[in-house]
Amino acid sequence: MKLRFDRGTIVLTDPPKELDLVGAPGVRWDPRVHAHRAPASQYPALKRWLLHRGSRFQDIPPPARPTHELWSDVDLRPYQEAALSAWELGHRRGVVALPTGSGKTRLALAAMHRTRLSTLCLVPTRVLLDQWLREIGALYQGPVGCYGDGVRRWAPLTIATFESAYRHMDQLGDRFDLVIVDEVHHFGGGLRDETLEMTIADARLGLTATPSRDPGVAARLTELVGATVFELAVADLAGGFLASFDAITLYLDLVPEERTAYTSLAALFRSAHADFRQMVPNGSWADFTHYSARTPEGRRALSAWRQMRRLLAFTYAKRRTLESLLGRHRHSRVLIFTADNETAYAIAREHLVMPLTCDISRPERDDVLERFRRGDLRTLVSARVLNEGLDVPDADVAVVVGGALGEREHVQRVGRLLRPSEGKRAVVYELVTRNTIEVGQARRRRQGLVVRRSAQL
Amino acid sequence: MLSADLLSYSVAGTLAVPHFLGEHDHPWIRVLLEEHERFIGRPQRELEARLRDPLPCESPPRKLKLAIQVLGRLRLRERKSAVPPRRARAHVFGEAARTSAPPQAILSKVATSLGVSVEELQDSLFGDLPGERLVAAPAQPLSAVELALRCNLVVVQGMLFRATVVRIEVEGNTRVLVRHAKWRGLICAVAERSGSASATLEISGPFALFRNTGLYGRALGELVPLLAWCPRFRLRAECVLHERRLTLQLATGDPIFPSSAPRRYDSLVEERFAREFRRLAPVWDVIREPEPIAAGGTLIFPDFALRHRSDPSREWLLEIVGFWTPDYVARKLALYRSARLPNLILCIDEGRNCAEGDLPSGARVVRYRRRVDAAAVLHVIESTPCSCYPSARPGTEFRCSRGLSLRRLPRADA
Repeated sequence: MKLRFDRGTIVLTDPPKELDLVGAPGVRWDPRVHAHRAPASQYPALKRWLLHRGSRFQDIPPPARPTHELWSDVDLRPYQEAALSAWELGHRRGVVALPTGSGKTRLALAAMHRTRLSTLCLVPTRVLLDQWLREIGALYQGPVGCYGDGVRRWAPLTIATFESAYRHMDQLGDRFDLVIVDEVHHFGGGLRDETLEMTIADARLGLTATPSRDPGVAARLTELVGATVFELAVADLAGGFLASFDAITLYLDLVPEERTAYTSLAALFRSAHADFRQMVPNGSWADFTHYSARTPEGRRALSAWRQMRRLLAFTYAKRRTLESLLGRHRHSRVLIFTADNETAYAIAREHLVMPLTCDISRPERDDVLERFRRGDLRTLVSARVLNEGLDVPDADVAVVVGGALGEREHVQRVGRLLRPSEGKRAVVYELVTRNTIEVGQARRRRQGLVVRRSAQL
Repeated sequence: MLSADLLSYSVAGTLAVPHFLGEHDHPWIRVLLEEHERFIGRPQRELEARLRDPLPCESPPRKLKLAIQVLGRLRLRERKSAVPPRRARAHVFGEAARTSAPPQAILSKVATSLGVSVEELQDSLFGDLPGERLVAAPAQPLSAVELALRCNLVVVQGMLFRATVVRIEVEGNTRVLVRHAKWRGLICAVAERSGSASATLEISGPFALFRNTGLYGRALGELVPLLAWCPRFRLRAECVLHERRLTLQLATGDPIFPSSAPRRYDSLVEERFAREFRRLAPVWDVIREPEPIAAGGTLIFPDFALRHRSDPSREWLLEIVGFWTPDYVARKLALYRSARLPNLILCIDEGRNCAEGDLPSGARVVRYRRRVDAAAVLHVIESTPCSCYPSARPGTEFRCSRGLSLRRLPRADA
C-alpha cells in the first residue's frame, strides 16, 4: 500500500485485500481515481490507525528538516516558558493567547528551535511577513522560505501570508511537520480553514492576543489547531513585562446640529430595530441586516445606521479634542486610531499627520515605520493597519477616535503601546460621544483589557 | 468572491434558478452607467458616496448592489497628480513633524519647494489612493447589455464557488476546458457521448469527496466563461447554497459574459507551423484539435490533423513535442507508442534528445529547432501512403494523456 499527498488530500493506493479501510479516519472511496482518499489533516490519525493494525505501507516522504546547528539559542521569559510547556503537554497542539507586545513571535521561534521540526508560519499580512522573516533571520542562519508578496520560495522554515498559503497549500501541504498560525483568531469560521485542512502537519500552534469567545469558532479552532492551552491578558503583564498605562476616557458632546441629525437618524433606526427585536428576540445583527435589506423601511433603517456611524466617526468635539491632545503630546510618539479610512484621511489632511492604511503601499509603510522609529515622524493615524501584529516602535500615546470591531480591536490597539522600556508609562485616550451608541461600545471594548483567566497548566 | 447575500436565485425543487439580469433590467442599468459617466474625472469616493443613495428610477436593490460591485471591479480609475503622491506625503508629513507651524504654512512652504501650487499639492497628497483616483471612462463604451452579462457571470461564478462537482456535456473546445481544469488542480473525468466530438466532463476538486471548498469552487467558476466558446454545452453543478444542496443548470444561450477568445495555439511554434503549412500546401486542411484518439485505454489529444481536401481519407495526425519536462515527454511518447498509429508525424525539438528507441514504431519523425519546417512535413505526407487512424469508440474507458484521470461515464442519453 502506498500513501501519497495529492492536492490537499492523502490518496491510498493498492491496500492489501485483508485491510478494511471503512473505519480509517477520514478515508473514503474515490471512484474518480479508483483509490481511497482522506483529507490531508487526517494524515497523522490515519498513520496511527494503520500502524496500530500492523499494516505495511510506503509512507509520504518525510518533510525536510531545518539544520539544528544553524539555530542560535532562543531565551524565553518565565511566562513564555510556561506557555511553551503547556503547548508541549498538549501534544504540540493548541492556542496560546498572550497580549500584544508580550513576545508571541519569540515563543514561536522557540517552538521551532526546540522541536527541530520543519515549520510553516502563517501570518495575516505582507508587512508581518517581512517582520517574521527578519526575526527568524536573526536567529536562524539557514535559508528561510517565503510565500507571499510575489515570492514563492520554499525552505524547511517558511513564512507565508494567509492568502498565499490558501492558494498554495495544495502544493505545500506535505512539506511541513509544524504549522504556526499568527493571529489565529482569523481562523475557525471561513475559507481560510481550508488551508489547515490541506496540510499533513501534526504539530500546530496558534497565537493570538484575542481568542474568540464564540463557542462555534472556538470549537472549530480546537479541531483545526487545538484548544487554548495558555492565556494571559494585558492586566496580567502590565507594569512588569509590559509597560504600565493609563486609560483615559474623554466624554464629549455633539453640537446642536449634530445632535438633531443624530436624534432623527437614531429614531429611524431604533424603530426598525425594535420591530425586528419583537419578531426575533434572539436575532443577531447579521439576521437584522439580512431581514432589513428586504424592505424599503429596513433599508432606510440600515442607511440611518451607517449615517449615524459616519456622523460619530469624527464629530466637531472630537476634532477640537484631537487638536488639543496633539498639541499636548507634541513630543511623544502618538498613534491615532479611527473607525474607518475616510476619517483617517480627514485627520491626515487636517493635522498633517501620516496615515497608515491598507491603501498605502508596503514599501511606503515600511519607510513610514522606519521614519517613525527614527523620530522623523511623531504621529501616525490608522483605521486597521496598526491593529494587528505590526511592530510599532516606541509609541507611548494612543488616541482612539473611533472603533468598529469591539473588544478584540481595542486590546490590539492598546497593545501597540505596551512594548516595555525604561520608565515608560503609556497613555490611551478614548474619545466617546455622550448619549450615543458609542457609550455602550466603549464599555464593551474595555472589557478585553481586564484579567481574563490565569495560565492553564 | 460574491458574498452570499448578493446571490440572487429562486429554488424550484432541487434546482437553483439564478435570477439573471435581462432586458427588463437594462433601463436602470443605463441610468447607473449614466451616473458613472457623470462622475468621470471626479474622485472615486464621490461616486461611491453618490451610489450609496438610490438611483432616480426604480431598481431592484440587490441587483443594483451587484451591478455597482461589478462596475467597481472593472477598475475604471486613473491617477493624475502634479507631484508623485508618495513624494508629496514624505515632504508634507515630514515637514509637519519638524515644525509647529500651522498646516497652511507648512503646505505653502512644501508647495514652493516642490514648484507647485498649494491646491496641486493637496490634490497630489492622496491622489494614488483608491478613493481619490479619478473615475475614468472605459476603453470601449460599456453598454447595459454588457454590464448585465458581466453581472450574470459573477452570479453564476458565485454559485459555483459553493459547488462540489460540475458535469458538462459539451461539443467542441473540450480541450480548453480540460486544460484549464488540469491547470487549476481539478480532477476531470471524461467520457465520449458518441463518435462525434461531443463529450461529457465531470470536473471536481480533490476535496469534493468530503465537502465543497472555496479553493476548488473558484476554479470551477473559472470554467464558465470558457463555455461560451463551445458551440453547445449543458452544465449541471451540485452546489451548497445557504446550507441547502441544490443543482445549478446552465446551457448554450444563457446570458453570460464570455471569456476572451481562448488561445488557439499552445505555442508560437504551433501557430507558425499552421500558418506556414496552410500557405505551402493549400490542398491540405490544417485541423486544430482533431478528435481525441483512443490509445490503449487512454485518450490522446493530437495537436493537428492534416487532411487532404479532395481525398479526406488521406489524413495525418501531427504532434509537436516541444519544450516540456522529460517525464512529460516520456509519458507522451509511451502513449503514442501504445497507440500504434500508422499515420502519425512527430515533430520533436532537437533539444529533447529523444533516442530512436523511445519513439513510436512507424511514426514519421521531423526534428526541429525553433520552428517546424512545413516543407519537411509536406514531404513526409506526400511521399508516404497513409491509412486512417482508429478513432475512439463510445463507452471506452480512458486515461488522459495529460495526466488527468478519466473514466467511463454513463452516456448522457442512457
